[in-house]
Amino acid sequence: MPYERVLMQNVGVPNSTSLQVYKAAGGYQGLVKAFGMKPGEVVDLVRQSNLRGRGGAGFPAGVKWGFLPIDREITYLCVNADESEPPTFCNRITIEHDPHMLLEGILIAGYATGSTVAYIYMRGEFMEQFHVLQKALDEAYQAGYFGKNILGSGYDLECYIHRGAGAYVCGEETGLIESLEGKRGQPRIKPPFPAIEGAFHKPTVVNNVETLACLPHILTRGLDWWLSLGTEASKGPKMYCISGPVNRPGCYEAPLGITVRELIYGDDFGGGMRDGKKVKGVFPGGLSVGVLRGDIFPKPPDGQVDPAKGYDELDCILDFDDPRHYGLLGLGTAAAVVIPEDVDIRDVLLNVTRFYSHESCGQCTQCREGTNWIYRIARRIQSGAGRSYDLDLIAELTENMGMMPGLSICGLPDGAVYPIRTLVQKFRAEFERHIAAQTPDAVAKTIKAINPAAYELPIQEGRALAHVGGSMQEIGDRL
Amino acid sequence: MPKIIIDGKEVECRAGISVLQAALDAGWNIPHYCYHPGLKVVASCRLCLMEMKMPHPQTREPGWAPKLFPACQTPVRKGMEVRFDSDKVRENQKHVMEYYLLDHPLDCPVCDKAGECHLQDYSEQFGNATSRMVEDKHKNPKKDIGSHTLMYSDRCVLCTRCIRFCDEIAGTGELRKVNRGSRNEIDIFPGEPLENELQGNVVDLCPVGSLISKDFQYKQRVWMLNTARSVSPADSRGSTIWIDYNKQGVHRIRSRYNPQVNEWWISDEARFGWKYINSDKRLNTARIRRGVSWEAVGWEELPGILRDRFASADENATAAVLSPMMSCEEAWLLAKFIRQVAPRATLVRGYVPIEGEDKTFPKGFVIKAEKCPNRGGVEQIIAHFGGNSMDFDEFVKAAGAGRFKAAYVVGGYPKEWITEAHARAISKIEILVAHDLFPSLLDQHVAVQIPTASFAEREGSFVNCDGLLQPFERAISPLEGVKADGQFFHELAGEPGLFRAEKFRVSVAGELEMFAKVHVPPDEPKYAH
Repeated sequence: MPYERVLMQNVGVPNSTSLQVYKAAGGYQGLVKAFGMKPGEVVDLVRQSNLRGRGGAGFPAGVKWGFLPIDREITYLCVNADESEPPTFCNRITIEHDPHMLLEGILIAGYATGSTVAYIYMRGEFMEQFHVLQKALDEAYQAGYFGKNILGSGYDLECYIHRGAGAYVCGEETGLIESLEGKRGQPRIKPPFPAIEGAFHKPTVVNNVETLACLPHILTRGLDWWLSLGTEASKGPKMYCISGPVNRPGCYEAPLGITVRELIYGDDFGGGMRDGKKVKGVFPGGLSVGVLRGDIFPKPPDGQVDPAKGYDELDCILDFDDPRHYGLLGLGTAAAVVIPEDVDIRDVLLNVTRFYSHESCGQCTQCREGTNWIYRIARRIQSGAGRSYDLDLIAELTENMGMMPGLSICGLPDGAVYPIRTLVQKFRAEFERHIAAQTPDAVAKTIKAINPAAYELPIQEGRALAHVGGSMQEIGDRL
Repeated sequence: MPKIIIDGKEVECRAGISVLQAALDAGWNIPHYCYHPGLKVVASCRLCLMEMKMPHPQTREPGWAPKLFPACQTPVRKGMEVRFDSDKVRENQKHVMEYYLLDHPLDCPVCDKAGECHLQDYSEQFGNATSRMVEDKHKNPKKDIGSHTLMYSDRCVLCTRCIRFCDEIAGTGELRKVNRGSRNEIDIFPGEPLENELQGNVVDLCPVGSLISKDFQYKQRVWMLNTARSVSPADSRGSTIWIDYNKQGVHRIRSRYNPQVNEWWISDEARFGWKYINSDKRLNTARIRRGVSWEAVGWEELPGILRDRFASADENATAAVLSPMMSCEEAWLLAKFIRQVAPRATLVRGYVPIEGEDKTFPKGFVIKAEKCPNRGGVEQIIAHFGGNSMDFDEFVKAAGAGRFKAAYVVGGYPKEWITEAHARAISKIEILVAHDLFPSLLDQHVAVQIPTASFAEREGSFVNCDGLLQPFERAISPLEGVKADGQFFHELAGEPGLFRAEKFRVSVAGELEMFAKVHVPPDEPKYAH
């Protein structure tokens, strides 16, 4: 049975952004149903559905709502529409084609959490989308879906759209709140978490656009329908994005749990590689989760997952857990970008490192200095003056960044660490091939040109050798 | 008082502080840049990270958590166990120190902070000897950001202490971070320089050589300086200060931690307003008027001359003006002397300079309008001696009416304080002894002129506006030809031996209670900065 699209049900329908079309397709029925329940029952329903946050981290939304203090006076709902993860554009599709689905989700979430004000924090680059959403919001206000006493339920919700100024780090929930408050967009120290002290020092819920867009469907179609979709721990539909040199790049909806191979080659999805090229690698969930090896690598003989061995990894299942088995951060935004076989991996590394170096907010030392150092190394490698030791150094630096080892305030460096580390680890052989093919004195000449002082220090090599070892050497041997 | 375990040692600490503060208080040397006890915690330098014991998520068995925690952001809890002495922690410190030096110009030989720089100290103690970076360094610019301050962005470690100071303590918020990532810089808004009355503190706060005081730039290497504990005479608040000096004189003044008075801060007036002590206009000879000309006298003859002069005058028409710039000890000794020679002499509470109104900053720092350090002390001493006393204005009026025949007038103010009207009135006094810092309108009327030493050249104690008696030390020798006032009054009052302020306070503590209650602020922990 072909899968019936829900999150993208109105995409392609003429005039899909209007309230009339949305209502004709059964819109705002979820809200009516929610108003028939107590807020706590809605929270329980969402908790039972195990709706995991679609923004990247996959934290269950119902649990997140449960962190709000019981005796709160005011609650804010922040909608994270700062979709800035590199190859991701599913929220944009939702906002562009079905803004009322988002607005209905906001109303349901607002009702469930008792929020009285909702802020939609919108990516600065979303200009057209802002106008679409603003128009839809005005329409919804006129129809009585926002404001005082919504649909006679006694529930009040005001909604504002706030446009960001184009910083990746403002997609982090506390960075978003700081920016919303009019401050410099940089993440806050936690605790206190936003549920306790968020926007304007009041309890705040921050949810992603797609997470909220799921809510009307959970209510109208019911828990059984929801739980029938997806894999064991990852339930529900998901909007997958695919970009790069595939035949049909775009956004496709499917239940959670398709494989990367299906996403690239499936006829309902990417439709195969353009010009019959092979895949060198793929970032399966936005840049930040890391990279998978493509099918230029041999298939694993026993079909077993082992990221340490140089096999094809396209059988990775895109749910919240399986990517971890491949050494990745998680599902991320489920937006895949494909690297074809004819792209130089050094260019990929340069592009990835440049992004994080440019987007680091500069609060924590490791991230501020580390991302830029790696970028500078990648630039030199790309220019044809790399050293084998540089790869070890990059891998070592990635071990010393990020929120998971407790070294930074937010998760941005984790997002930087995974793609860089997995690129260097999984494609080490190719880097080494390029380095071996350089002119013999390229490194010496380049370093002398850019930094004579460093070149004069013979200790460089000594330290370099001393630092080889540990995990990287083992990986180098394995490859 | 919760007890926590740091590196296996049990430490008792104040409740509600951070683990970092507890460790610093207990003598641990924990590297930190962004943490300052007087400012909000931002936990961004990531140097003070520690390991902490946490219950295992499943077994609830306590064990070392796999991640590191910022000690500055973690409050102490009873029974918690943390460690800094571990490979993981040291590894992180090593990496962070390497990161800090990536774009640092390493210009210590021309940097004024060298010698007291925490980038130097921590690199040596926790960092690496060399950098592994072979790439070109970013060269962030040097900026003139305010009337007293220069900003070397290339040396900056972005701890944001200066930003938080301007936001929280001064409440003016001139400084901000601009740009992202490693292009991050601290800067002012265009056309809005750092101009608040506390701006000098950002230089003290800066752990590295990024914020440099224009006043001190290229003046001295800090290891050539000695330092004395003093109290600022700039206003009646009695802010405690360090006077950095050497044989060539005073070079700068920094704030000295004093939780009850000024905490970590001082006003720019106290920090930069001491230059008058090096002025070449200062009086530097004790001299007596002979007709129309002056005759210099030796300091050893002066007590005898003064005694004779005052003894010859009518004791009812004798007065001593005790300036609020005098220390308590000096005021006591002068009062004692004048009552020895003229038991019915009038003690006058000296001129109190007032400029504007008290200025209170958001977190409670106050700059007082009363620009003298010791009005409270002088008043208490005059009250203790009893007898006739009056305010300065009454004294001027009475002098103008010819009530006084002999008077000992002490000044010591950095600014001109005698008006023409004052001078006209006071000139009616026949035997006028003026003890002052600078020439004044009184000069043409005085019989004996004595130069006074500045606050950096004396020792003693001041009583501040809240009644705290705070001692201060002598930093430098008095100007050539000037005698420290304490010693001079000591001899004048006929006391034997050398004047030592502390010994003197003990000797009179029985007579006046104020001298028994000396407020000495606690030192900051050794490794705090």
